[in-house]
Amino acid sequence: MGKILKVLCFFAIFTLIPATSYSSLATVGVVKSVTGKVTVTNADNSSSAAYKNMKIFEGDTIKTGASSSVGVLFDDDSAVSFGPNSSMKVQEFMFNPVEKNLSFVARFLHGSFSFISGQLVKLAPEKVRLETPDATLGVRGTKLIITVE
Amino acid sequence: MNNCKKNSIFVLFVTLLVLSGCCRQTQVILLPDQDGTVGAVTVANKQGSVDINKSGESTVVANALSAPKKPTQLSIEDVHKQYSELLATLPDQPKHILLYFLSGSTQLTDKSMELLLTVPALIESKDSQHISVIGHTDRTGDEEYNLRLSTKRAQAITDMLIGQGVAREFMTTTSHGEENPLVKTEDNVAEIKNRRVEIIVR
Repeated sequence: MGKILKVLCFFAIFTLIPATSYSSLATVGVVKSVTGKVTVTNADNSSSAAYKNMKIFEGDTIKTGASSSVGVLFDDDSAVSFGPNSSMKVQEFMFNPVEKNLSFVARFLHGSFSFISGQLVKLAPEKVRLETPDATLGVRGTKLIITVE
Repeated sequence: MNNCKKNSIFVLFVTLLVLSGCCRQTQVILLPDQDGTVGAVTVANKQGSVDINKSGESTVVANALSAPKKPTQLSIEDVHKQYSELLATLPDQPKHILLYFLSGSTQLTDKSMELLLTVPALIESKDSQHISVIGHTDRTGDEEYNLRLSTKRAQAITDMLIGQGVAREFMTTTSHGEENPLVKTEDNVAEIKNRRVEIIVR
């Protein structure tokens, strides 16, 4: 009986750790406009339909359907808009100038996007990386169009 | 035997197609921002790297196994036309409001008090539910005192905004103490521009 309890405890600890680390994620941005079908998939694989003023977290993948679009504003003032059938993952986002934790890694997987750089590009351009399946973009400002066919 | 050869040629052909990423490519176009500033982008992969730094300049990367192509110049007008919807979907830049304080206190200057009163209307017009209130101090006094003071300042402003009808759950209140000055100074220098609370309305 004691053994079973020990095993249960062991599993409980390992299942609880990831649960708490997800909940401690901070907001990194906010959805400011949605047209058509747009979904946001969290790092723990749960999906929901995007809506205006929805919070975006590190690890989220944002995806638009046919004739759909979405505009996202990040906490450092950078902004991304998505055209139809587009998908992007917020791989890393840290904006804490006081503790010098700065990073923005976004994966543009498919579709069309426009991007405006924010304070992260001004403070630590080397920590901002926009990736596509074909190349990595080092950005020193400011406004871009990125298409991944 | 013959058949086998044909098969392997076919497999080789398909493999090459997949490797060359025949159906996919990345294009990057650089545009000026609202105030006409043009930045710069380095597009790179293991095969090479290309810089674009002029308005309307563009590069194409066929796949991860080929270097980014030499930049080409596009007409800004055409780009704006082709991507008009995409560009129109870009959210407006957030508004940053700076409020200044009397030395050592949580009392706003008269001018900043006036400015604060305009903030709720701005929040409403942007339909914002994502507002940051960040407190800062100058470098008079020690770090710990300043962190406490900047927290008090940010809290005072948050309370005033709540008093004016802004929802508490839409606001995030943080403080940076003397660590994030607007104007860099030596320690123990009084600087009004650093005694501030920044409100960001997204």
